[in-house]
Amino acid sequence: MNQASAPPSTIALIGNPNAGKTTLFNALTGANQRVGNYAGVTVEIKSGETYTPHGHKLRVWDLPGCYSLRANSPDEKIALDALTGAIPGESKPDLVVCVVDASNLERHLQLALQVLEIGIPCILALNMVDVAERAGLRLDPAKLSEELGIPVVPMQANAKRGIIELKQALRFPFPTAAEPRWIDSSENPAASRRALIIRLCDLAARRPDSHQQTRSDQIDAILLHPVYGWIALLGIFFTLFWAIFSFAQIPMGWIESGQRSFAAWINTTMSEGDFRSLVVDGVIGGVGGVLTFLPQIGLLFFFIGLLESSGYMARAAYLMDSVMAKVGLSGKAFLPLFSSYACAIPGIMATRTIDSAKERLVTIFIAPWMSCSARLPVYFLIVPLLLHEHEGTWKQALVLFGIYALGTSAAFLVAKLLRGRLGKDSSPGHFLLELPPYRKPQWNYIFRHVFERSFSFVKKAGTLILGLSILLWALSTYPKSATGDAADALTHSAMGRIGAIIEPAVKPLGFDGRIGTAILTSFAAREVFVSSMAILYRVEETHDPEATRKLLRDRLASASWPDGRRIFTPLSLVSLLVFFIYAMQCLPTTAVVARESGSWKWALGQFLFMTGFAYAAALVIFQVGKLIGY
Amino acid sequence: MSHFLATDLEIDSAMTLNQVKVGCDVKIRVLSGPGCERLRDLGFCEQLQVRKLAGGRNLICSICGTRMAISRELAEQVLVSPIG
Repeated sequence: MNQASAPPSTIALIGNPNAGKTTLFNALTGANQRVGNYAGVTVEIKSGETYTPHGHKLRVWDLPGCYSLRANSPDEKIALDALTGAIPGESKPDLVVCVVDASNLERHLQLALQVLEIGIPCILALNMVDVAERAGLRLDPAKLSEELGIPVVPMQANAKRGIIELKQALRFPFPTAAEPRWIDSSENPAASRRALIIRLCDLAARRPDSHQQTRSDQIDAILLHPVYGWIALLGIFFTLFWAIFSFAQIPMGWIESGQRSFAAWINTTMSEGDFRSLVVDGVIGGVGGVLTFLPQIGLLFFFIGLLESSGYMARAAYLMDSVMAKVGLSGKAFLPLFSSYACAIPGIMATRTIDSAKERLVTIFIAPWMSCSARLPVYFLIVPLLLHEHEGTWKQALVLFGIYALGTSAAFLVAKLLRGRLGKDSSPGHFLLELPPYRKPQWNYIFRHVFERSFSFVKKAGTLILGLSILLWALSTYPKSATGDAADALTHSAMGRIGAIIEPAVKPLGFDGRIGTAILTSFAAREVFVSSMAILYRVEETHDPEATRKLLRDRLASASWPDGRRIFTPLSLVSLLVFFIYAMQCLPTTAVVARESGSWKWALGQFLFMTGFAYAAALVIFQVGKLIGY
Repeated sequence: MSHFLATDLEIDSAMTLNQVKVGCDVKIRVLSGPGCERLRDLGFCEQLQVRKLAGGRNLICSICGTRMAISRELAEQVLVSPIG
C-alpha cells in the first residue's frame, strides 16, 4: 500500500480518567490541551497530528476518560462512539493506544480488556511507571505483553520518558488486533475478565501486601477532616478570591498606563474631527475599558488550573457533596459550577462528567448565575458609586462577596425547585469520585491554558466589543443636531431616539433611557455595558482608564432626570446590580447550553427565565424600596 | 473456580463496607445491587483488598493504591470480610 498518498491513519488514546491521556496527547502532538488532575478534563474529542519515526503523518484523537465502554455518562458515550466508528463522518480509528496507570493496573486493565474485545489493534501505554515504582510495585512489561498479545510500552508521559519508544511502536504496519482469548468459551465475560486481571497483576505487577500510608493520605487526613477540612476549604477559596482582586491591580496598572500613552499619542498625531472622536471615544474608550479586566480573568483561570492540576479540586468536590446534596445535586456539580465563576462556557462543558442526566440539566441551568468574570467590569463601575468611595477598599470587597453570594444562593434555590420538579432519575446515580494523589502542578500547561483563555478574551474585545463600540459611537453621534450642545446632540441622535423608546420599559426599575440602551447593548456581552455607558454619557477620554472610570462615575453621580432628581440613587444602583447578577446576557453561553442540553427550548427557556427574573427582581427592589422611603 | 466456592463459604461472616471500622483492611467477597457494574469498573472487584480510610456521608477507601470516594448507598452493595 502506498502510505504517502493514503489519508493519515488515525490513532485514538483511551484510558480511565486521570491515566494521563491528555499529557501523552500533548507530548505526541505538541498541542497545548489543558491537563487537570481531576476526572473529566477532556470532555470532547481533541484531535492533533504526530509523525511516525519514518515521517508518516498520523492523526491522534484524545478521547474523554472512561471507566468502561458501557457509556454511563455522556463523555463515555463519546469515547465508545469514537471507537466503534459511530461518530458521523469519522471512521473507526486504525489503532488504539490504551493508556493505563501502571500503579493501578487492577482497575485500568478493565477498560483495556474491553477495548481489546472490540477487536481493534491496540498498544498498551504503561504510564506513570515512576509512581508505580515508588509505590513498590514490581512491573514486568514483557510478561504483560506476552499475556495480552499486544505491544506494551512503559512510559512516564509527563517527563516525556517513553515517547520515542511509543512512536517506534506506532510504525507501519500496525500490529493486528489481539485475540481476546479470555472471552472464548466463557459464559460470564465480566468474571473471566476479572480473573484474567487478577492473574496478570499477580504475574506482572506484584504489589507489596501492606497498605501504604502515602503523603497524599497524610495531607488528606487534614484536608478532608470534618472540621479542619472545611476551614481549609473556606480558607483556600477566600484566599483565592482575595488574591485575584489584589494581585490583579499590578498588571491592571500596566495596561492602563499603556492605554494612556496610546491615547495621548493619537491625540497628538490626529487632527480633530469625527475620526479622532471615533478612535478616542469609540475604540479606546470602549475596548480599553474592558481590556483592563484581562489580569483578573487570567488570574481566575490560573487558580482554577492550579486547583485542578494539584488534585485539590477532587477534594473540594468530595467535601461539597454534602452541601450540594441539600439542593439535589452531587459533589460532581461543584467543579462545573465553580468554573462558571470564571466563565459559564467551560463550566457548562464540564457538566458532561455528571452521570445523572437530570442533575446535569439542572447544573447547566443554574451555571450562568455563578457571577462570571464578564460581570466584573460592571460591578467595578457600580459598587464604588454606591459607596461613594475610590476603588479597592475592603467595604467594596464585602459588597462584591455579597453579590457572589446573592447569585449563588438564588441559583441553589432554583436548583432545588427544579430538581424536585424533574423527578427522580430512572437509574439512581451514586456519588463516586476518584481522589487522585496530590501532584506538583504542571506549570507549563497551566500557563498555556491561561494564555489561551486570555487570548480569547482579547479576541472578543478586538472583534465583538470593538464592533459594538463603533456602532454605538455612530448611533450616538449621528444624525448630528444643528446646535452644538452635547446634550442636545445625544437626544437628536439615533441612540437618543432608541433610548426614548426603551425608557418606559426600564423606568419602573429606576433607569433612564441611556441606561436602558446600555443594558440593551450588554445582551451581546455583559462587559459592553461599561463602554456603552462611557459613550452614552459622553465621558471625555482622559488617557487614563481609572481616571476615565472615575470621571464616568462623577458624571453618573450628577446625572439627573429632567425634573432635577438624581438618576443614580443608591436604590437605582442596587436595582442595576441585581439586574446584572441575574440577567442572562451572553449569546455564546446560550449557544453552548443549546448544544449541551440538546434542546433549543431549554436554552431559550433559560434565557427567558433568567432575564425575566432579573427584571422582576430589579422591579421589586426599586418599587418596594421607593415605597419604604429610600 | 476455587475462589467462588470460598466466597460461598465465607458469605455468612460478610459485612458491608459501611460496617467496617475506619483503618481496617478487608477483602471484597461479593458485590450485589444495582451499582455493582459501576463499582467493578472502578476497581471494586471480588478478591481485592480494600482499606477504609474515612467514613461519614461518603466513604473513602484505598483500593489498589487509589483513593476512591463512594456514597453510602454504593458501599452498602459491597460485602467484605476481614482479612484473617
